[in-house]
Amino acid sequence: MTERSEGSGASAGRKLNRRDFLKMGGAGLAGAALLGTAGCGGGGSGSGKIIFTMGPDADGSIAKLVNKFNKEKISKLEAVHREMPASSNAYYDKLRTEFQAGTSDISVVGVDVIWPKQFAPQNWIMDLSDRFPASAQKEFIPVTISVAEYEDGVFAVPWCSCPDAGLLYYRKDLLDDSGIPSPPETWSELEEMALQVSKEAGVQNGFVFQGSNYEGGVCNALEYIWTHGGDVIDDDENVVIDSPEAAAGLATYNRMIESGAAPEAVANWTETESSANFYNGDSVFIRYWPSLYGGFGDTETTKIKPEQIGIAPIPVDKPGNPTYSCLGGWQMAIYANTEIEEDAWKFIEFMTSEESMRERVIIGGYDPSRKALYDDPEIAKATPVVKLAKDVLLKNVKSRPVTEYYGDMSLEMAEQFNSALKGDISPEEAVKTLQESLSQIMEEAQ
Amino acid sequence: MSVASASTEKKKRGWFKEEFGNPERRTAYYMVLPSLLIILIVAFFPILYGFVLSLTDSTISGFGSFVGLENYVEMFQDTDFLEGLSNTVIFTVASVTLEFFIGLGIALAINRAFRGRGLVRAAVLVPWAFPTVIAAVMWRLMFQNQVGIIQYAADTLGIISEPILSSRTLLLMGAILVDVWKTTPFVALLLLAGLQVIPAEVYEAARVDGANWMQRFFRITLPLLKGAILVAVLFRTLDAYRVYDLFWVMGNRELASLSTYVYEGVRISQLQFGPGNAAAVFIFVTAFLIALFFIRVLGMRTSVEEE
Repeated sequence: MTERSEGSGASAGRKLNRRDFLKMGGAGLAGAALLGTAGCGGGGSGSGKIIFTMGPDADGSIAKLVNKFNKEKISKLEAVHREMPASSNAYYDKLRTEFQAGTSDISVVGVDVIWPKQFAPQNWIMDLSDRFPASAQKEFIPVTISVAEYEDGVFAVPWCSCPDAGLLYYRKDLLDDSGIPSPPETWSELEEMALQVSKEAGVQNGFVFQGSNYEGGVCNALEYIWTHGGDVIDDDENVVIDSPEAAAGLATYNRMIESGAAPEAVANWTETESSANFYNGDSVFIRYWPSLYGGFGDTETTKIKPEQIGIAPIPVDKPGNPTYSCLGGWQMAIYANTEIEEDAWKFIEFMTSEESMRERVIIGGYDPSRKALYDDPEIAKATPVVKLAKDVLLKNVKSRPVTEYYGDMSLEMAEQFNSALKGDISPEEAVKTLQESLSQIMEEAQ
Repeated sequence: MSVASASTEKKKRGWFKEEFGNPERRTAYYMVLPSLLIILIVAFFPILYGFVLSLTDSTISGFGSFVGLENYVEMFQDTDFLEGLSNTVIFTVASVTLEFFIGLGIALAINRAFRGRGLVRAAVLVPWAFPTVIAAVMWRLMFQNQVGIIQYAADTLGIISEPILSSRTLLLMGAILVDVWKTTPFVALLLLAGLQVIPAEVYEAARVDGANWMQRFFRITLPLLKGAILVAVLFRTLDAYRVYDLFWVMGNRELASLSTYVYEGVRISQLQFGPGNAAAVFIFVTAFLIALFFIRVLGMRTSVEEE
């Protein structure tokens, strides 16, 4: 308290200086704050480039095509690939954050097939029907167009890989050694072969797949449900998953682990773990997307050569039943609030043209969405998947039950399918729980 | 005594005039005002807004209509929320208890002067310096069944027969282990700081009086350490209660906590926005009550004057 008396007792000049300093300091800070907010608000809209978002460009095909687009000056603006997370869920999160804010500088979005029906109702992507009429749509595989439709418009152009479809890869050399001439047609055959060949060849696992509690797990389980004759929603958008067929599908799903054909750990495996296991030579069969094929022949990825690999459609429940593969894959859409619509469309046109798609398919081993490319001999040579799985890709691919609230449905399905796989709940319980929760979600969506 | 009480009386009545009448005190309030405003806008407003949102049926697309406590009812009936709540409570109690005992042991051990003590103290801090996400990914790889050393060791010893990452119980135990590994150093250093404040003469006097180490520990060390203990335990309790990144990254959606429930509801799902919001308010209110409990009931000192 002596300080106070000193301060007031000292020369008036000193106290005024301190006051003045405080006043000037306060004014200076306020001014700086205002400048800062003004500066922040200005940036962010329009950077003079066509920003194209997509996951990591593992094989360099995107970089090559983007460079070509820029060099040929197809648009007055340059395109640039903005890398997004490899995980589809994480990529979706990122897009959602940006789009919710309403101001994003993204123009062209690489979208997973399940996103157009979720983004379109929120008005985050544009209706492309006037630029992409029915005559152009005919050149693409029908199921890839139908997933991009919402209410009368088409909101994305199929790209590649699209359709991504579940395929059964197998070690042909190991099957030959065991005297098995052809791949399994039914799930029971797969189970037997997996157990037999893995034991005879001394391989760690018989059959691996992606069973973790995530979107990939939903794809895997749906293939079992569909090939047993069940479905999640019917054509009138009623929830029909509570059926004996669907329960039978999940029972087979669970039996893969129970019988020992697949290791217990597949219940927490995603693409990373399962592909690493197969590339390592530790498994006889794997259910995976077409992109696995590109790895064989690349000695840095795996020592297995393409001649040792065979591809078969997803097994079915009884011989003669139709097979179904879960549709995955990537398409291109235009962000609704972009200011460079024309240039964005030029980029999409370029990337989905026959020539560019051809190049990307050959480099990366993807499968194209254009029907014509399936008869191309060069592509068939470069990506045998196109030839080996031609029928599957053209005809037997089925889309997941995508609706506006697919996010919630996927969360429910992923959890229930994963629990059924681990054997924590019975298949009947799983389908009954799903029938309730999915019906509730569909109701709330009305 | 009457002088003191008279002055406090006068102080209460003339408090306002004294605070704002005095130009220097007034300047002090003006100087605090900007940061107070910032705190109000940045901290208070979102909390208030979140609370208001939780009473409506809003979704990410827009503000909804007032629905009262419906979101809270839905939240309490949601099995995911209850699972998250039980996981979080178990995690908090277990990890804070373990961290406290191990941390206290470490603090007592490195309290004595020995050669290389500075180096040991720095080394002890290394796990704490890792970002939680990196540590979570690192440990997840160790628990993984193909390349994980812990899964391998557990399988060989025969104590675990299933993949660790598939079992929710084992995942929770793993998460507790990782958290203890990571933040025991933090508790240890807080307690060490508290130990160093205790004057050595007190121990000497006790030794002279013939007290053995147990009496010295329980009657001198612990009571004098009470302040530091409460600070460390409160910090750790609140941090553990809000656990999110460790559970999310290590469990890959398998491990639920209160915060992951909020995240799933508000960010991933479209229809669970209301319950997710309600859960966020729930976390805020209960964390606040925990802090209040520590301060009022356990008598944690929040400033130098109160004693």
